[in-house]
Amino acid sequence: MPDDTPHRLRQLRGSAPAKRHNARTVAALTGNPGCARRAVLDAAGVDKDALAKQIGYPAKFGQSQFAITRGNSFEAQVKANGYAELLRLLREVLGLEIEEVGSTDLNEVGGNATQEVRHTRARQALKAAVEGREPLTFLDHPLLRLDVGGNDVYLEPDLVAFHHDGVMHVVEIKSFAIIDEQADGAKVAAAARQSAVYVLALRRLLGDDAVSHEVVLVCPKDFSNQATAVKIDVRKQLITLDHQLTRLARIDTLVEQLPDGLSLDLGTHTAEELVSTLSIMEARYAPSCLNSCEMAYFCRHEAAGCTSALGTTVREELGGVEYVARALDLAHGTAVASVEEEEAAAMLRTTAQIYGSVAA
Amino acid sequence: MDQVEALDRRIEALRTEVRRALTAGDRERVTSLRKQLRQAQREWEALLDEELADETPFVPAPRPASGPLLPVREQVHQALTLLGAPAAPKLVVAVHEAFATGELTPTKLTSLRRDEERSFQSAPYSRPYYLCAALTADHLAPARGLIAVSSWPMATRIIGPLSLRVDFLTAAARLADHLERLGDTGPNARRLLWRFAATIPGAATSADAMTPAAVAAAAEAELAIHLDADRSHREAAAKRATDQLTSAQQLFGARLGRAAATGS
Repeated sequence: MPDDTPHRLRQLRGSAPAKRHNARTVAALTGNPGCARRAVLDAAGVDKDALAKQIGYPAKFGQSQFAITRGNSFEAQVKANGYAELLRLLREVLGLEIEEVGSTDLNEVGGNATQEVRHTRARQALKAAVEGREPLTFLDHPLLRLDVGGNDVYLEPDLVAFHHDGVMHVVEIKSFAIIDEQADGAKVAAAARQSAVYVLALRRLLGDDAVSHEVVLVCPKDFSNQATAVKIDVRKQLITLDHQLTRLARIDTLVEQLPDGLSLDLGTHTAEELVSTLSIMEARYAPSCLNSCEMAYFCRHEAAGCTSALGTTVREELGGVEYVARALDLAHGTAVASVEEEEAAAMLRTTAQIYGSVAA
Repeated sequence: MDQVEALDRRIEALRTEVRRALTAGDRERVTSLRKQLRQAQREWEALLDEELADETPFVPAPRPASGPLLPVREQVHQALTLLGAPAAPKLVVAVHEAFATGELTPTKLTSLRRDEERSFQSAPYSRPYYLCAALTADHLAPARGLIAVSSWPMATRIIGPLSLRVDFLTAAARLADHLERLGDTGPNARRLLWRFAATIPGAATSADAMTPAAVAAAAEAELAIHLDADRSHREAAAKRATDQLTSAQQLFGARLGRAAATGS
């Protein structure tokens, strides 16, 4: 019964207000699409941070307040004085014409900052820009909407720039430095994934041709506070994202499998009850979860002893061997491999021999 | 001693004049009067020194906190008048630092607009000018983070799609002209101008090679491209604003209720 799903999700969340997806969580979701636990918790809008704390596995992750402040002040700096600095950068990087300076602030609509109103206005402005009705080049913080597993998620890119040849470019302003034209690979990858979410949301709104697969990343240059811009191709991230969003198990089928009356209300349940409820939802822990999911420490504890907890590469190499102990037994030849384990077992034995001979 | 008393009276008279000129918004007169005032004060000090030199060794009195004795709103008004366009508090502070003494911090500006609005509500038009909002062209709502002066024409206070850039270029050109007139200016003023020049095509190749005249010329050149389109937006919206809004809304903007959004 699909009509039942919102009700069951509300029940699962309990009395707390719903947490919403944002570009980071959508990007993280695609990082581990097979994790039913995360999908259900996110769809229900459960405050995962509070939940993890309650069951004794607080997430040691999240953006520090300093990083957020730094990011905001850098963004304010490049946008100051009528986008002066951004304009200079985008004229270089995108080859904006000198006439293209129009801008609109979509952070609020006439003092009204509700999501529906902002989204409506953003849609109008984006369409007006593409159709050439308004001379808009800089669209500041348009509020976009994306359907994620049957749920509407509101997303807010830093800036969308419109180029005269009829394409939108997502502009992402990040405060990590590009030093000697090199930046932290993990951070760039995260920014690219996040931007890909925006590109996808824009494409769903305006059509594929209207939005460029090249996003502009604006970062501080070297050790200064001066900004620099680079183009990043997010085609790969887009394909992954699109693929994973479409095959993202529809949330109703996941919810249907859960027993009725399940609740994760932090106010009324003890830690043990919460843990037992969580264990009903199947998780798929991978080390990369530690960077992106609040529940990661709990899942890691739960997955201790499983080969998959050692990472995707190990999981793939040891297909069929579920536990570390079993793998060790196979390696030392103390256990007999079943048919599906044979290939992995042969590899493990060879590896053990090599290690043994080196260590001896 | 008679001389000192005469000077005293003169200083007093000059101060009154400065205040009057400021209220009238006559900047040039204020500048010349202040120059005279400073001169008179110097003479007064010198006279006093002479008198004291005979009796006791001269002990310089600690100077009172530096800076003009102007309230924050007047300082902001000066900076905005120089720029000639709505500006963000940060820019106002930067302009103030470049050309005036005394401390002005962005925090002092945060409550300014609200105070002005309250003052206007309680006694409309009792001040010669108000520091008010710039209005967005589409909804005639207060534009985020911009301060304007109420005595400007409505069209100057409207922010259309091109207005941010136009205002930026206008400010750059006016700033450059101002620097050109002043001749030798402090490093703060040049740094401020460089911040503008760096993002205007053809204005300057480096901070050292920058000349105010070239910056002004480059700003005017880009300005010429945007000006007509921007003016038509602004004037249309200004007409709407004067027709539709109450006097308080004309200064501080109309706010959209939570009920509905209307596009333009």
